[in-house]
Amino acid sequence: MSEQNIIEMNQISKNYERKIALSSLSFVVEKGELIALIGPSGAGKTTLLNLLATILKPDGGELIIDGQPIQQYSDQKKRAKKIGIIRQQFDLVGQLAVIHNVLAGRLADWGFFKSFLSLFIPQEKQAATLALERVGLPDKLFERTSNLSGGEQQRVALARLLMQKPEIVLADEPVASLDPARAEDILNMLTKLAKEEQQTVIASLHSVEYARKYFTRLIALKNGELFFDLPADQVTDKQLQELYQLKELN
Amino acid sequence: MFSFDLHKRKILTVFLLLLFMWSLFGVHWQEGVMHSSGIGTAMEIFAAMFTPDLSLDILYLAAESSWLTIAYATAGMSLALVLALIIGILASGVLASGKHSRSFMKGSFRGVLGFMRAIHELVWAWLFVASFGLSPYAAIFALAIPYGGILGRIFADMINDVPEEPIQALRAAGASRLQCLFYGYLPSVKNSMISYTMYRYECAIRSSAIMSFVGLGGLGYQIQLSLDDLQYNEVWTFLYFLIIIVVFIDGWSNMLRRRMAQ
Repeated sequence: MSEQNIIEMNQISKNYERKIALSSLSFVVEKGELIALIGPSGAGKTTLLNLLATILKPDGGELIIDGQPIQQYSDQKKRAKKIGIIRQQFDLVGQLAVIHNVLAGRLADWGFFKSFLSLFIPQEKQAATLALERVGLPDKLFERTSNLSGGEQQRVALARLLMQKPEIVLADEPVASLDPARAEDILNMLTKLAKEEQQTVIASLHSVEYARKYFTRLIALKNGELFFDLPADQVTDKQLQELYQLKELN
Repeated sequence: MFSFDLHKRKILTVFLLLLFMWSLFGVHWQEGVMHSSGIGTAMEIFAAMFTPDLSLDILYLAAESSWLTIAYATAGMSLALVLALIIGILASGVLASGKHSRSFMKGSFRGVLGFMRAIHELVWAWLFVASFGLSPYAAIFALAIPYGGILGRIFADMINDVPEEPIQALRAAGASRLQCLFYGYLPSVKNSMISYTMYRYECAIRSSAIMSFVGLGGLGYQIQLSLDDLQYNEVWTFLYFLIIIVVFIDGWSNMLRRRMAQ
């Protein structure tokens, strides 16, 4: 049973100065789940993702990734094989050609010499071309990344994840700066590729509508605590209303 | 707090203005600001501006000294670029892993760069001429050291100003520090590095001309000889050559920038 659990969170807490960002949060994620983190601004969604990405350390509790405590993943080459991250579109190096941003997903496996050489003679070009085909950008291989539109850049970031092949994909507001049509396109692609690659996805989202449409499980945070944790089709409108309700004035 | 600071700055501005007006009382206006015969000489020099000496001998000499000046500047700048890249990258601290080793690296290599540029190229030239004699190497090293210091400092600052997000994304994808340098930092700053280096190259041409005053040959040396002989027409010939070189390099760097922007 525990082999199926790729993430186990046990009583995780995190404080900034005096403010509590997360308080004794516990949940278990099974392999292949598509999870959306929802909740009002400041609820702790980004903090939770940063803990999972090992950018932050928890102040208490234990966090187990694929059977090993998260402290075991301090080497970033090892971590990259397990956990991949996608954020808003500012994640790519704009001055590089698209192909190099895609091949950057292979840096965990490449030594220095190979990665240096690749900037002049692209290595594993076929794999990169294939990844770009899968995200629908087959003809942009040598375009300067900053010349691409926001939606296209996010596709390039997805192609990089395809090269990296992590088991868990953490997505922090992956569609925050995109218009609705582009946003749905990216979420559709993200979840579709994750299913094909048997990846687990945890994405923080502002839009409940997208969360219900593309993800199988919703975890709602409010004031650093778990508000509800339910399959997407069991979340009621009343629960969502309570989640986003402003504090009543006394 | 902020408004208080702004307020204080205004007081400082008024104070400095008053100080400047007060300093004007220190000038002895009736004795003349300039030497009485100075105006005549200045007139002569500026009159010669329109009649540069265009005799073949002088043109040949000017071309030869221009070549020497460009050669010193180019060789000095190439060496400076190598120094600046190596020390500048180290001084940015992006290759260090820990917090402490990073600040140690930043501090020590920025110190080296500071030392290099604290001493003016003319002073370096004197020092090297005193030790090597009047050899071209003296000119090249005298240029390379302070220019390496200036370029290195700017390169380090540029690298430190690269936005964090793409670098973090590279780290998350498993890139080492060195891989981050070649996939993140350097591509991000390459264009600014090239255009700043071109601007510095232009400065190096001027410096190289001036530096030849210490006797190293080149445009500056010829200007000095002609000035000593009161041959202002020749002086202007050499000056026009200098201007042409600088304008040419400016045009070249504009062309490069336009090509990079595509």
